[in-house]
Amino acid sequence: MIQQVFALVIILFFISRLFWQKRNKKISGNEFIFWLIFWGLAALSIVFLRQIDSLVATLGFSGKGIDVLLYLSVIMLFYLVFRLGLKTEKIEKDITKIVREISFKNEKENK
Amino acid sequence: MTKFKVFIIVPAYNEEKNIEKIIDEVKPLADELVVVDDGSSDRTFELAKKQGAIVLRHLINRGQGAALQTGDEYALNNQADIVVHFDADGQFLAKEIKEMILPIQNNEADAVFGSRFLCKKSEIPWFKEKIIIPLAGLVNKILINVSLTDPQNGFRALSRKALEKITIENDGMAHCSEILYKVFKNKLTIKEIPVTVVYHDFGQGLLKGKGRGTGGFRIIKDLLLVKLMN
Repeated sequence: MIQQVFALVIILFFISRLFWQKRNKKISGNEFIFWLIFWGLAALSIVFLRQIDSLVATLGFSGKGIDVLLYLSVIMLFYLVFRLGLKTEKIEKDITKIVREISFKNEKENK
Repeated sequence: MTKFKVFIIVPAYNEEKNIEKIIDEVKPLADELVVVDDGSSDRTFELAKKQGAIVLRHLINRGQGAALQTGDEYALNNQADIVVHFDADGQFLAKEIKEMILPIQNNEADAVFGSRFLCKKSEIPWFKEKIIIPLAGLVNKILINVSLTDPQNGFRALSRKALEKITIENDGMAHCSEILYKVFKNKLTIKEIPVTVVYHDFGQGLLKGKGRGTGGFRIIKDLLLVKLMN
């Protein structure tokens, strides 16, 4: 019970940060919605941990609900890292395009 | 014979020791010699400029693939008929450029690749010859289903037709495989020509090489990314 309250406090802290970032226009609307849903689901999972326990048991898993949540979060993390990698790659390509254009422009000006 | 406008592209990263000699040797063989200084921190840019080459300067290091694409785009925009990719580290012999462009001039090929394993004898370091190159060949075969005798050779000549169809998207060293893949994908005609490669130092390791996007594992990762993004 204490752990659940503790986890909810942490989640509430993140949600408040999220609203703060949105108010200061540090994140886009889509990002805000994505993270709000993400933390909302995390909070619901904590509140309904016992129900998840029984759901997991009915599905035939031997572990507890919290273990399943942990596995899911690891999968989620891998996915986010993968997406981040692709995004970085795209940014790198954009940087190259800018560097290339500058090189053409400088060559033309120095002719 | 029709006069072909030949552009030689020399990507250079911190090559102040070799660049003057390379330009001296290569310039008489080209209609235009384009050195792409890939963000060097030494005097590569100044020396190349002094030698009278066209120098395109990347403000920051972007990798050999990016430098070659910069040169290719410049050549295309300046009516090149043939483009030769030639390394700045003195590994290749300038006198072999003529042999490389001949099949394109004779309309026998759109893309000509140099090979260390056809007739001419190059002093290839043991580890590179027995481990790195066969491994690279295997990766090429598995990932892009292409086999040439020397898929990682950077000495190549491309016709305008090939240039128009190939955009190098990989900034690092995986561009070798990418070019091959795109040549095959666009059904361009290919010819392999024996070339000599002179080794000064080892250059490419499994973990790290010189400049951005080098090292064997990084190249494999880049190739996988190219596949995923396509």
